[in-house]
Amino acid sequence: MTAAGGPRLAALNKAAEAAGLVLGEPLTDARAKASELQVHAVDAAVDDAALRRLALWATRYTPTASVWNAENGADGFFLDIEGAAHLFGGEERLMADLSDRLENNFGLPARLAVADTPGTAWALARFHAAPSPVLPSGREAEALAPLPIEALRLSPETCTTLRRLGFKSVGALLDQPRAPFAARFPAELLRRLDQALGRIEEPLVPIIAPPVYHSLRYLLEPILTQEAVVAHAKRLMQTLVHVLERDDVGARALRLCLYRVDGAVAAVDIGLTLPTRNVAHVARLIDLKLDAVAATQEAGFGFEAIGLAVTLAEPIPARQAELAAVAEGIGEADRTERCTTLIDTLRQRLGPQSVRQFAAIASHLPERAEALAAVNGEASAWPAPEQTTRPLLLLPRAEPTEVTALVPDGPPRRFRWRGVTYEVAGSQGPERIASEWWRDPLPYPPPQAGEDKKGAPTRDYYLVEDADGHRFWLYREGLYERETTAARWFVHGLFA
Amino acid sequence: MRQPAVLSMMQKNRATIAAELRRLLPKIEGFASPKTLPFGLSAVDRHLPQGGLACGALHEVVPGDGGTAAAFGFIVALLARVARARPLFFVIPGYGLGQYGRLYGHGLSTLGLDPARLILVETTHRRDTLWALEEALRSSAPAAVAGVIDKLDLKLSQRLQLAAADAGLPLFLLRPAQLLESSAAATRWRVGPAAAARDRFGLFARARWHLLLERCRNGRAGEWTVGYDHVAHRFSLAAALADPAFSRSTGEKFVRQAG
Repeated sequence: MTAAGGPRLAALNKAAEAAGLVLGEPLTDARAKASELQVHAVDAAVDDAALRRLALWATRYTPTASVWNAENGADGFFLDIEGAAHLFGGEERLMADLSDRLENNFGLPARLAVADTPGTAWALARFHAAPSPVLPSGREAEALAPLPIEALRLSPETCTTLRRLGFKSVGALLDQPRAPFAARFPAELLRRLDQALGRIEEPLVPIIAPPVYHSLRYLLEPILTQEAVVAHAKRLMQTLVHVLERDDVGARALRLCLYRVDGAVAAVDIGLTLPTRNVAHVARLIDLKLDAVAATQEAGFGFEAIGLAVTLAEPIPARQAELAAVAEGIGEADRTERCTTLIDTLRQRLGPQSVRQFAAIASHLPERAEALAAVNGEASAWPAPEQTTRPLLLLPRAEPTEVTALVPDGPPRRFRWRGVTYEVAGSQGPERIASEWWRDPLPYPPPQAGEDKKGAPTRDYYLVEDADGHRFWLYREGLYERETTAARWFVHGLFA
Repeated sequence: MRQPAVLSMMQKNRATIAAELRRLLPKIEGFASPKTLPFGLSAVDRHLPQGGLACGALHEVVPGDGGTAAAFGFIVALLARVARARPLFFVIPGYGLGQYGRLYGHGLSTLGLDPARLILVETTHRRDTLWALEEALRSSAPAAVAGVIDKLDLKLSQRLQLAAADAGLPLFLLRPAQLLESSAAATRWRVGPAAAARDRFGLFARARWHLLLERCRNGRAGEWTVGYDHVAHRFSLAAALADPAFSRSTGEKFVRQAG
């Protein structure tokens, strides 16, 4: 830590504490006290990343984990264990389990506290004498009173001022009337006090978006194989299906969290084309995704817990095809479902951008007139073709070609493309496509009369056939004598 | 008088036996689905053992000299003739078309195939391409599956052929002419370009292709020049005698003189 008067100590290990070093002490003093001191520069980014990993690991207890920011000291995290404690047999048991695992897996001696408000929990974790206090509901004021005013998460300046005024403990503040404090101190003081006492809400910023539906399973024995993971994920999905059915929704996006024995967490995200409650389908997608992930992730000593969360749920659309299906005898709804299943499957293995569909765009320029979009369930209508001369294959970019024409603005007679000379046996055109001036930014100052316009030149397209029947789409760039005197030719596409 | 009667009997017997054999052979050969995709051209359909392209089978399309676009066009025309209401899957490796650019939706529409029906699957490895093709067939969700593949050995083609037969869906594979190996495909077409049909104003009316049926299981090779009408989704036979290049050049000359 760098501060006025040279580097200071930001953190100490046990040996350093034993040597009598104090936090915030200048490094030179510390070296005088302990000659064999090992010093490392503080790297806030690495510390932050480590804390985030730890908080992610802690989502094995509850989905809502919130990392402390710099205001809170940036050295811990909040867990919202409401509704999760009973899974471990009570808050004490949960804390004991958490403390054990932190000690054994990470080698971190932790200070824990449970309270109704984050502020009080923070204060108790830092300043309470007992190791892991659990505060009963409604006794915040009583618990906070004996603690020093630093327990309120105030800025150092406010703390110094309060101490100068004689306020040493929180209790001394609690008895005072509010109005003078509101007038003389930053709003921070009363806000922190109210947050600690639960008079105003303190929202937690979760490290990962809390899922809509969540299901978690702790394993007695760590599992290693992909089959076992899929089997457990399948069972988790089965438990989720009941809740999804109750709310009449299906899963659009799922996240599978694998908690490794050594504390690392692997998250596998799965997206679906249409909301589903189909257990087998989800299991298949997870299996495929794990195939792809297996190359980069390793199981280490195995996974000790598996969580499956529905991060996006949507109502399942009613199918209209039921009547038609009855008439046809074949399940049309079944076919639609099979199709989305197939698309999901392909996407899981090949990547979300690999399964696409043509989408028409209203543009005159051929290369802008369409795009490939992800398949979104319902097929989009294609506009009726305006022009019948459009090539089957469009080159990635128009390729310049040398053309011989009888007159400068006439159809081509012979052209050379990719090293082959083609004699034109017949041509059709031109189809004139002007640049879309409303897309290009206006040139400033506006062009004077007689001056060249800055927009892209007009194109004259020709469908050209050679003696063997090869059909090409050529264009000449620039109107002869109006936009250019040496027109350039390009090959833009191939006809079937 | 008896001799001719016996002869006719024998001939009749031969005819019935042949018909019976024709009926049985596909079953023995493993064409599970009796459905076919006819060309709508009696000359071609009669030539093919099932009276059309077998539905549950692998069909290879090989571009002839400079015929990549024509081969694509042939596949698109066949896809456009497949029953509506179900999507079509086209598996194309990312590197596959390479210098030929990409399939153009408006061009598909020009050839009579509604681009909204087509779902493009892009792959990065040949292994993925094969997997995607098989997955699409096994799901039996699409109406037909098409793909572009560079290398395909006998074993893999057998696997695809079996998948197509199980699903009863046609599978069209575009293969490069340079890397041909023996395969289990039901037919192999070599498609080359042919001079397009013109209407009476000299405008291009119909695409034409030169089709060479190189291999045909239980059938003979054949050769046709067909035109394709994108509005009616119909193939037509170009007049065998009239050399289109010849007739057009005279036609052009005549028009020019008149003009």
